[in-house]
Amino acid sequence: MRREAPPPNRVIGLLVLVAGLGWWLLATVSVAPNRIVPGSPLRAHEAAGWPAALALVLALAGLAALTWRPARRRLWLALALATLLLMALPAWLALAATSSVDPSLPQARLGLGAGFWLLLFCLSLMVIELRTRLALGLSAGWLLVAAVVSAWWLASPWLEPLALMREYQGRSDQFAGALVYHLLLVGAAVGASLVVGALIALAMRRHSAIERGAFTLLNFLQTIPSLALFGLLLAPLAWLAANVGWVNALGVRGIGWAPAFLALLGYSLLPMVRNTFVGLSGVEAGVLEAARGMGMSRRQVFLQVRLPLALPVVLEGVRITTVQAIGLAAVAALIGAGGLGTFIFQGLGQAAMDLVLLGALPILAMALAVDSLLGALTRRLDPRMAAGAPA
Amino acid sequence: MIELRDVTKRFGTETAVDAISLRVAPGELCALVGTSGCGKSTTLRMINRLIEHDDGRILIDGRPVREFDEQVLRRRIGYAIQSTGLFPHWTVARNIGLVPRLLKWPKPRVEARVEELMTLLGLSREQFAGKYPHQLSGGQAQRVGVARALAADPDILLMDEPFGALDPITRETLQAELRQLQSRLNKTIVFVTHDMDEALALADRLVVMRAGRIVQQGTPLELLREPADEFVASLLGGDDRGLKETAIIRVAERMLPLSPRLLPQARVHRDATLRQALAVMFREHADRLAVVDDQDMAVGELSLRRLVENRREE
Amino acid sequence: MKSESLQGRHRATRLEIWRVPLIWLACLVLLAAGMAWLEPLFRWLQPDTRQVIYPHADFLVLLGRHLLVVAAASLLAVLLGVAAAILVTRPAGRDFLPLVAQFASMGQTFPPVAVLALAVPVLGFGTWPIIVALLLYGLLPIVRNTLAGLEGLDPAVHEAARGMGMGPGQILRQVELPLAAPVILAGIRTSVTISIATAALGATVGASNLGAPIISGIVNGNTAYVLQGAALIGLLALTVDSAFERCQRLLDARRA
Repeated sequence: MRREAPPPNRVIGLLVLVAGLGWWLLATVSVAPNRIVPGSPLRAHEAAGWPAALALVLALAGLAALTWRPARRRLWLALALATLLLMALPAWLALAATSSVDPSLPQARLGLGAGFWLLLFCLSLMVIELRTRLALGLSAGWLLVAAVVSAWWLASPWLEPLALMREYQGRSDQFAGALVYHLLLVGAAVGASLVVGALIALAMRRHSAIERGAFTLLNFLQTIPSLALFGLLLAPLAWLAANVGWVNALGVRGIGWAPAFLALLGYSLLPMVRNTFVGLSGVEAGVLEAARGMGMSRRQVFLQVRLPLALPVVLEGVRITTVQAIGLAAVAALIGAGGLGTFIFQGLGQAAMDLVLLGALPILAMALAVDSLLGALTRRLDPRMAAGAPA
Repeated sequence: MIELRDVTKRFGTETAVDAISLRVAPGELCALVGTSGCGKSTTLRMINRLIEHDDGRILIDGRPVREFDEQVLRRRIGYAIQSTGLFPHWTVARNIGLVPRLLKWPKPRVEARVEELMTLLGLSREQFAGKYPHQLSGGQAQRVGVARALAADPDILLMDEPFGALDPITRETLQAELRQLQSRLNKTIVFVTHDMDEALALADRLVVMRAGRIVQQGTPLELLREPADEFVASLLGGDDRGLKETAIIRVAERMLPLSPRLLPQARVHRDATLRQALAVMFREHADRLAVVDDQDMAVGELSLRRLVENRREE
Repeated sequence: MKSESLQGRHRATRLEIWRVPLIWLACLVLLAAGMAWLEPLFRWLQPDTRQVIYPHADFLVLLGRHLLVVAAASLLAVLLGVAAAILVTRPAGRDFLPLVAQFASMGQTFPPVAVLALAVPVLGFGTWPIIVALLLYGLLPIVRNTLAGLEGLDPAVHEAARGMGMGPGQILRQVELPLAAPVILAGIRTSVTISIATAALGATVGASNLGAPIISGIVNGNTAYVLQGAALIGLLALTVDSAFERCQRLLDARRA
């Protein structure tokens, strides 16, 4: 009996095509003698020679071939190949650095070009696609990420001519400080919003008037664009700092951490309050009725039934809030709050795009990591993750 | 024993339960029936004080429920509801052990009791103890619900349409199991349902409610034979009442002893209902049936005439 | 006769419904046009500064540019996003559904600032990169919600539609899209709200819009500029958001 062969995976095919064309036609890197002069773009074979460029094209073709008849074993191989490619990219960059950056110029640098970014992006999408097709769990995903990150980490001594690395080396202390500050700001805002949000949600459950009022106010707050909210907080806080002694003593100013913290808190409250409230109110009536009917006290019903059942929804709120705060804290750099956003706006101001990357990439990584960690925690806490409760 | 005296409940201006009086004897299964909104669930929930009554008295073993601490009261009354109300974040075993744990039983005793109940309700321990409610079928979930209600061995069991959401076959199985369970455990059960067949099959006593009042109460046979009014009659099936009646009388109660006459081919078990006997007669085109026991030995006979005879006076 | 009076009543409620967005709009336009009249107020706030009204461009022009960028990006995002979501839920495009769905939800965790900042190295400074960045970022909530709306449809409805003999196109236009409309609209609302906020940040990459007074105010330590820009952006966001809210309410009312 002949088994029907599965149709080719068109997704991988398309991604291979896009990545390959980008690799071949667009500039993969640009080389500049120093920070000020714009770099001259180089295509793949110009940067690191024909053999390496062709090897990558061959590997891409291999990916397409493996997924042409996507049996499970072939998909595994394709996943391994795509991951290996992602791990090999820093080696190629090192090769490009040695062959096209003049070692006699200490400030010479290698910038990444559109072709390289496109390849990186397409390969990442391929890994995601293959992981989905193979129905691999979260831990497998983390394993892949860890493998790729450690490959880049190991290659970093040879990547010094990379413009991103040059920018980092220039301000490694500043970078560590900004990273910590960013995390502190986000952590403080999310922590405070969790406490305040829970209190508001509890008050809302007591009085429906508070429920309406709080939702209206928080919705209103959430609508105001971040830049505007930071701006609007600037004047009153400056006035308070100038006129109220203890506020000033706290270190509150019109710019700096105070408006940033307040704005982040304000934005965080809506998702936090909404999820806490919905979580606590959304517990199925029959469950609560049974809990009371079995003779549980109010306290027991709340602590043993309502709260644990609401927890996944509350955690979902923490996830949304944290991811949002990580991004907004970057904007706060505009009003002098510090953090990784500082690099972004400095970079934009100096037209130094690699400095922008130095700020933006860690922010992206943080947002993704928090999202996936808290998401995993939420799913673990929810016994009904797979199926709904019985009718 | 449960006793309600002139119990009234008002929601705002609306009177949900209007001065009803009811006695449920120990070991009795009392079914509250009526159309939706007639106050039957409210009545049930006033017994364990999930709803507080406004007027009148509710007594349990002669003591007003108001005198109990409400949690203590509820812990000694079993409670099972249609949506099962199983805690979705707890395993089956933990759900069943809820009330014993609330009563601070020592851990080994709770575990032993959980195991006992799972066996009692036909839930294999290895298979179900560690499962979560969402992994159960409707019938299994309801079994767990009943097990949980029975966990602390309460004398009284309140059940609010416990089998309402199940398919007919599972429902009948669970009804049969409840009947068996009841014959062994002899609990005092108050059972709310809108399924008249279920009420007739299970109840020792039927209480028909309408608009917050008790219209009629009595044994199923009494109500079927002498409905107090048109409402009760139509609720009990109108012209189908006769058939419903045949469904609660056993063949053994009507059969005649073996006679020297030749036994008919068509046969029916002695524990079958008259309704089933009627069905066999209809199917086999026979007006006489041999009644057999478990060993398929003839123990008597039943004629159509005998089946439809008026024997109320006996 | 009867239907006419009904329609009349309908019209009245319709105007009634749009009252709040219209009030916000009026505030927005009045403030943008009449900022100069508020000079005494800002003067009182900042007695030491010579210039208290943002001088580089008329506020109405800034507002217009802001709106134009957001509208262009959002319009494209709606067209592309809805089309993409429809495409990957058809049999021909199903292969792409898992990746698109996953990317749309993952992409939303990217902070808008980071996306905007990353667009600049690739696209350069100015208005176009902002439109492209807003478009790319704005696509995500729209794709995600459209997918959720189309995939979340009760299979029985789809089945019934097929059973009645409706073709795929008819099902899409008459059943799927109308039923998914509230979810799609919610996605568009999110997308536009984010775009308005992110466009303001565009001032840091050289766009001249309502974000410009804020940035300029921060850089020069002129709180009055900051307030002017912030108030206008806030009003713009509220106007647009409340208009969307009414749209959603109308849509809900229609099916109730």
